[in-house]
Amino acid sequence: MTVRDLIAVSTGNMWRMKFRAMLTMTGVLIAIAAFVSMISFGAGNQQYIEDQFNKLGLFSTLQVYPKEREKENSNEPDTVVFPPLDKAALERFTAIPGVNLVYPYDAFSVKVQYGDSLVDSKGQALPTAATRTKLFSVLEAGTGFESDSSKQAIISSELMKELGFDTARSAIGKRIVVSVRVSTIDSGLAHILVDKGETLLDRLKKIHFDSLFYSKYRGKVIRAEANEVARRFVNGFLNARKTVSDTLTICGVREHVRAGRLRIEPVIIPFETAALFSTSGLGESPTEIFSALTSGKLFSTPEDAGEKTFSRVTIDFDPKVPYTAIRDSVEKLGFRTFSFAAEFEEIQRAFLYFDLALGAIGLIALITASLGIVNTMVMSVNERKREIGVLKSLGADESEIRWLFLVEAGVIGVLGTSAGIAAGWGITRIVSAIAQHYMEQEGIPPIDLFALPLWLISIAMAVGVGVSLLAGFYPAARAARVDPVAALRNE
Amino acid sequence: MYLRSINLCRHYKRGTYIVKALDDVSAEAHRGEFLSIVGSSGSGKTTLLNLLAGLDTPTSGVVEFNGASLTGMSRRERSAYRAHKVGMVFQSFNLISHYTALQNVETALLFNDTSPKQRKMLAASMLEQLGLADRLTHRPADLSGGEQQRVALARAIVKKPEILFADEPTGNLDFENTSQIISLLKSLNSDGLTIVLVTHNLEMANTHSHRIIKMRWGKISEEDDMHSHEGTKQ
Repeated sequence: MTVRDLIAVSTGNMWRMKFRAMLTMTGVLIAIAAFVSMISFGAGNQQYIEDQFNKLGLFSTLQVYPKEREKENSNEPDTVVFPPLDKAALERFTAIPGVNLVYPYDAFSVKVQYGDSLVDSKGQALPTAATRTKLFSVLEAGTGFESDSSKQAIISSELMKELGFDTARSAIGKRIVVSVRVSTIDSGLAHILVDKGETLLDRLKKIHFDSLFYSKYRGKVIRAEANEVARRFVNGFLNARKTVSDTLTICGVREHVRAGRLRIEPVIIPFETAALFSTSGLGESPTEIFSALTSGKLFSTPEDAGEKTFSRVTIDFDPKVPYTAIRDSVEKLGFRTFSFAAEFEEIQRAFLYFDLALGAIGLIALITASLGIVNTMVMSVNERKREIGVLKSLGADESEIRWLFLVEAGVIGVLGTSAGIAAGWGITRIVSAIAQHYMEQEGIPPIDLFALPLWLISIAMAVGVGVSLLAGFYPAARAARVDPVAALRNE
Repeated sequence: MYLRSINLCRHYKRGTYIVKALDDVSAEAHRGEFLSIVGSSGSGKTTLLNLLAGLDTPTSGVVEFNGASLTGMSRRERSAYRAHKVGMVFQSFNLISHYTALQNVETALLFNDTSPKQRKMLAASMLEQLGLADRLTHRPADLSGGEQQRVALARAIVKKPEILFADEPTGNLDFENTSQIISLLKSLNSDGLTIVLVTHNLEMANTHSHRIIKMRWGKISEEDDMHSHEGTKQ
C-alpha cells in the first residue's frame, strides 16, 4: 500500500464521517489557536525588544565602567589599585581588534533657551564619529554634526516639545542658547578668607591661644574652625557661580531614549564644542563635586584636562565580532563591563520560561483535544472491525492497518493544527488592533504585541501533529490487533 | 503436494474448558482441483478453511503451500500469501458498505503492488466479465444478494489468485443466484483455478466437486473421491 493509497483511504473515511471528524478537528483547532496566540504574545514582545536593540545597534556596543572595590565579601587586598577610566584607557580600548569607536559618557547640567522657553536639562558631549553609529544616527529629522567643533546640537524629541517646536522638521536649523553654571575653586577659596564681612583673621582673634594647652579646649577649637573652613568653602563654591553660554544650531532631533543602562541625554553637543562647558569649572551637580573630591581632582586646573576620568565609556565594535571577545579583552584590562547582547541573552532566557509557561497552558488544552482524537479513533476502529477483517483477508498486514489509522490521526492533526495556527493568528490580530487603538488614545506609540515567527509555526505544527499522532497510536495499535477471523465471523 | 495440512489442531480456551475446533486434521488439495469441505455447523470446516487461507494460526500442526510452511512464516509473509496467492469469498459477502462495487473490487489490488490506474481498469473489466458493468458505481446496499456475491467473487479473483477459498458462498442466496455462482466457480475451476469450497450442502458438493472432505466434531470423518481426476494437475 503506497503513501498515496494510505492518505486516499484515510481521508475518504474521514469524509464519510465528516461531522465527527470536524468536531475532533475543532478540538485541535481551539487548542492550537490558544497555544499559538499565547506564545505569539511572548514572541511579539521578544521581537519588539530585539528590533529595538537592533535599531539602536546595541548588540555591537559595550559599556565600560571603572572597577570599584566591593564593600563586602571582597578577597582583594586593600593595596590593589584599579586602573582609572581615563584617556589612556580609551586608547587601549581602541587598540582591541574589532573595536570601531570608543567614546566617553561626559554629561553635564544645562539650561536650554529658545525664544521665551527656558528648560533645565542635561547635556552630553559626543564625537562626530559617534553620531554615525546606529545608536545616534537614527534621527527623526536632520543629520549628525559637521565636525567636533561645529556649533551644533542634537536634541531629543521630548526637549523639542518643551522648547515649543511642533515637529522635528520645524526645529532643524533653529538656534538655541545652551548655558552651564559652573563653580570655580577660586570663589570657594576666597570665601574661606572672607565670608559675610568676617575675615579669617577676625576669627583667629577670638581664639584664646593660652588655653590651647588644654586638650579639651584645643579639640573644640580645631573642630569648630575645620567646620567653619569647610562651610565657607562650600558656600563660596556653590553660591558664587558663573554662567558659560553658547549659541548652537539644532542639526538633528532624535527619539527620546532613557531605559535602564542606556542613557542618552536630551542635548548632544560636539565633543570640542562641549569642552567649553566642562573645562570652565565644575557643574552644579553634587555628584560632579563628589566625584572630583573622591578622585582627588577638586583643585585641578583646566590644563589638567588630560587626567580627566570618566564614569562610563561606550565601545562600538564590529557586529561580526562576538561581544564576548571584546568584553573579555576589556575586563582583562581591569574594567567592569555591561553588554546589551548579554542582557538580551538574559531576556531571551526569561522569555523562554515565559513561553514555556504559556505553552504548558496551551498543551493542557491540546491534551484534552487529544482525548477527543482517541475517542473518535477508538469508535472508528470498533465500527470498522469487519472492514479491517476484510482488508486483512485481502492481504493487508498489521503495519498497513496501523498506518491507515495513524494517517487518519495525522490528517486530523495537520488540518486541525493548520486551521488552529490561522485562527490563533487571527485572534492576535484582533487583540493587537484593539491594543494599538488603546495605545494611540493614551499617546503611546503603537507597537505590535504579537508575532508569528517561522519557529512558532513549526513548533505549533510539530506539537499539534505530534500530539495527534500520539493520540492515534493506541487506536491504531488496537486496529492492527483486530483478529480477522473474529471480525469476519457470521453474525 | 500443492496445499496440505498435517496434524492440524486449533483449540480455543473458553474459561476452564478447551474447545477443540479442529483436532488432528491432515488433508490436501491438488492444483486445479475443486475440493469441497462439508459438514454440519460447528464441525470445523470454516476453521480449516481459515487456517488453509493463512487467516488464522493453528495451535499445532502445519499448513504447507507448495512445500513452504505457512505456520513457519512471519505475519508479513502470511499477509503476502493472502495478497498474492489467495482469494476469499464469504457467505455474508463482506463487502465494504461505503465503497462502490468498483471500489470494493479495487481494494483487493491495494496490497498487490498494482498502480491506481491499473487497479481501476482491472476491477472494471472483472465486474464487466461477471455481468455487473452497469453496477460499477452502486453501493452494496443498492445491489441484490446475487449481485453482491458476484462483486465479492470479482474482488476475490481480480488479483488472479492460485486458490479460491469460498466459505458457504451460496448460503444467503436463492436457487437462481446459487446456480449462477456455482457455474461461475465451475468455470473458474475449468480455467485452472484451485477451489476449496466450504458448504453444508452435500448435494451441491456431490454434483460439482472433484473430491469431498466430510467433517464432524473437528475431525475428518470421511473423504470421497467423487470423480476421476482427469484434467486436474497433480
